[in-house]
Amino acid sequence: MASIRRSGGATAMFWQGRLPDPRDPQFAKALQKHRFRTIEDAASEETSVGWISAGDPTGGSFDDEDLEAGTATWLRFRLDKKQLPRKWLAIHRDAAAKSRGKKLSARERREIKDDLVGKLLPRVLPTVQMVDALLFIDRHTVLLLHTGKGMIEAFGRLFFQTFALPLERTDPLATGRRTGLDRALADRLERIEPVRWPRRDRGDRALAARASTHAATTDPEAEAVDA
Amino acid sequence: MKAPAPGPSGIETHGFLGEEFLTWLWFRWESDGGEFQLPGGRVVGIAIDDFLTFAAPSDDETEQTLRHGLPTRTEEARTALRQGRRLRRARLIVAEGSRQWTVTVDGPSLQLSGAKLPEDAEETESDQDRSADRAANWLALHEIVLALYGAFLRERLDDGYLGGAGERQAQWMQA
Repeated sequence: MASIRRSGGATAMFWQGRLPDPRDPQFAKALQKHRFRTIEDAASEETSVGWISAGDPTGGSFDDEDLEAGTATWLRFRLDKKQLPRKWLAIHRDAAAKSRGKKLSARERREIKDDLVGKLLPRVLPTVQMVDALLFIDRHTVLLLHTGKGMIEAFGRLFFQTFALPLERTDPLATGRRTGLDRALADRLERIEPVRWPRRDRGDRALAARASTHAATTDPEAEAVDA
Repeated sequence: MKAPAPGPSGIETHGFLGEEFLTWLWFRWESDGGEFQLPGGRVVGIAIDDFLTFAAPSDDETEQTLRHGLPTRTEEARTALRQGRRLRRARLIVAEGSRQWTVTVDGPSLQLSGAKLPEDAEETESDQDRSADRAANWLALHEIVLALYGAFLRERLDDGYLGGAGERQAQWMQA
């Protein structure tokens, strides 16, 4: 079994509610229910997403030692995609157009594709991606070791299907709510506006001096220093 | 089962705050040396490394990226600050005790990319020990960024911000 990687990107995600304890067999059972299922022999274009473990890339087992990573629970999911190779499709369409001596109609293009799907797809292997995530149950936080939008969404969907809890991904608002602000500051966070810093090229003066001219009648945060 | 449809993203509504956070880190690094006392007695050091991107001031303008060497010392960087531009992305060096991370933080999303964790602890012999050590280092990096962001927010959301810390930062940006 390899180790968790030492470099790369991470997206923090948070949940509210109760997850089964990862040491409880219910947790592995939940993963098992949404385990990865192969599409190696699929005869049509397909995508498969499901849980696997660090020790078993097929999704066949979720042993405790594969899930344990000190204070974290080591989750891994796999996303396979089986697609007709676009270049092969283009080659076949170009050849057909050449032999017929004219541009193909939409119907002819579709027929060529359907024909190729039947002939080629059983021979095509899916692309495989495996992504790790570290779950810290006491912090209600999971660090997905990936920053791609598609992977974040796929992980969020799989997590929700498995545990019936939506994940909220990191951003300045969601993260700010988790920094232990008191009620008054938390309220200000919700409606805060950007500071408009003074611009020397426009001859702006210092921040406070300009802000004070607005402070009596407006929210200084919103109006701070206008350009 | 489908996840509930999301509302407006915090990246859209509050992305600017992550950019202000990165600009504040730079200000604090240059003006106070970049040492932060965090909750729980944690002391961390922050420095801006060799990669900066300034956010576009408007949709019609361009982002500006400076990389390699010491981009914070360049005239381009000073000019951008004088124009009131915020940092959109920055590569940080984060140190706590003997551990050191490097990481690029994206302001609007607060995502971490290109992170490098500290060297594995010497006593880690098995893959499992190594994974536990690395998981702890990923968590520590996340918690440090979270705590720094919390420190920034407490200052930024304070009633007296514009006349105090905000004003000092404005003067630094104009220097």
